[in-house]
Amino acid sequence: MRALPIHRTEFASLRGADVVSEATRRMLTHYVTDLPVVDDDHRLIGMFRLERLLGSLLPKAALIGFGLDDLSFVSDTLEHLRKQMRTVADTPVRQLMVKAEHVVHPDTTPVEIVLLLYRGASNIPVVERETDKLVGMVSARDVLDALQP
Amino acid sequence: MHGLATHAASAIFGLNPVWIAVALFIATYALIMTDKINRAILALLGAGLLILLGVLTQDEALRAVDFNTLGLLLGMMLIVNITRHSGLFQYVAIWSAKKVKASPWGVMLMMTIVTAVFSAFLDNVTTVLLTVPVTMLITEELKVKPYPYLFAQIFASNIGGTATLIGDPPNIMIGSAAALTFNDFALHLTPVILVVLVATLIPLWFVWGRHLTTDQQHRQRVMNFNEREAISDVRLLKQSLTVIALVILGFMLQRQTKIEPATIAIFGAAALLLLDNFGKDAEKQSQKVHAALSEAEWITLMFFLGLFVLVFGLEKTGVIRWMAENLLEATGGDFKVTTLAVLWASAVLSAFIDNIPFVATMIPLIKAMGPAFGGDPALLPLWWSLSLGACLGGNGTLIGASANLVVAGLAERAGTSFRFVEYLRIAFPLMLVSIVICHIYLYARYL
Repeated sequence: MRALPIHRTEFASLRGADVVSEATRRMLTHYVTDLPVVDDDHRLIGMFRLERLLGSLLPKAALIGFGLDDLSFVSDTLEHLRKQMRTVADTPVRQLMVKAEHVVHPDTTPVEIVLLLYRGASNIPVVERETDKLVGMVSARDVLDALQP
Repeated sequence: MHGLATHAASAIFGLNPVWIAVALFIATYALIMTDKINRAILALLGAGLLILLGVLTQDEALRAVDFNTLGLLLGMMLIVNITRHSGLFQYVAIWSAKKVKASPWGVMLMMTIVTAVFSAFLDNVTTVLLTVPVTMLITEELKVKPYPYLFAQIFASNIGGTATLIGDPPNIMIGSAAALTFNDFALHLTPVILVVLVATLIPLWFVWGRHLTTDQQHRQRVMNFNEREAISDVRLLKQSLTVIALVILGFMLQRQTKIEPATIAIFGAAALLLLDNFGKDAEKQSQKVHAALSEAEWITLMFFLGLFVLVFGLEKTGVIRWMAENLLEATGGDFKVTTLAVLWASAVLSAFIDNIPFVATMIPLIKAMGPAFGGDPALLPLWWSLSLGACLGGNGTLIGASANLVVAGLAERAGTSFRFVEYLRIAFPLMLVSIVICHIYLYARYL
């Protein structure tokens, strides 16, 4: 039984060579926190996540995951973070992108998508099984939209 | 190998138990060194096979396990893991960095001392897990290379750990087997360890310390750190420090109270758990206790368990006695030569092989030499030489001690690489220097 499409077919995406400043501009324009990265054939090659970008603003020691429970003792300013942001502004997104942990297909059932979102996935790419081409994106908002009477 | 295990019943299939015990021990050891299978799995399998193949009975195996060592390890693990949630380690690290106005060499000096002192009372691996990230944060802010600092911390953790009964598992094992107390270690090892620490800092200054510079603005960023914010739970901090102080007091009074370290450590851990859970509802308590208990390094504890059984296999089949006899023959039964040979051999071997199985094997071996040297009390210098060699030897290479690998691992995750040869080039000679100091000390004081 084919499911009604609950994903968006119009979405913003990035190419590997696009730089971080361009990516953040699109994130702000389109109100998304993650953008898919595609190659010349529009196949999905990774996800550029805002979380990861924020991680690159932190001191590397904080990324280890142990030993620094918090950074409350660091009395930092926004200006310092801005400076950090400027240093990564020209980095191509392919250097910071990650593999998409979850990927769904046009025939994935709605309840499976909702389960993934419930468990914490945020912006899930929708990819055609045979060609690997990115055909859509689905987020919790899109589900909400699709569920409106 | 004549005369071995002539009294031991032959094991399954009529195989000589000596060969089974030796083969299992070597196979377990070799596989551990390849890193292909988890060490706890291997140790437990090896121990299990020893029983299944008829070399030992389960009863003998259980009696071979030194539960005093396991209890002490577990108790201290629990206490440290609860304490670290208070932010104590980060507080001390930042406070000490600010005390020297965040000067690059000052910070290196302070982090070395802090790591050494913590390592003396708490296990080395946890100490570095907690102090290395803060060190890396500070070096990142100061814009200095982290490598020299991390190198110094590796040395500090192994050196500091040698100073007390509870600082390093080899000492715990030796103390337990030889009936040596916290005070014994303090009187006999702490003095030479202090000298070794100072002696290690001098070359560190020459190689790196004097070249470290940074700008005033970077130092100011570190000076702006508010260390009080690092304490996330003041109540927990006070409770932890109180329990730790009482536990150490308990260790110091062992001769008088006749209460052994494992009891003190486990009781202390239980007391701290009570304080931390008091007044909370049942589900919350269940969660917290579960979390605290699961943070103990069960892999290490299970590894120890299996290891004790494997070594006893060698003891029961007479292999240890045979090794002792050969060692005595090689050193001509000369106590001085034997003691110093143990020191140097332990140091060099510990640099390449894990010191815990090594010490586990050496302990019954040294005990077997007791009669030759006039009884157990005469063995005292041998215990010190084993401890110093096995613990300090771990500094020699990256694989010499667990703390070394943990530091290297943390460093890699934050973008600094630790190369085996690069490390060895400076570490091995530096380690030999510390052994020379121990050699002089042992000779002067005991021989």
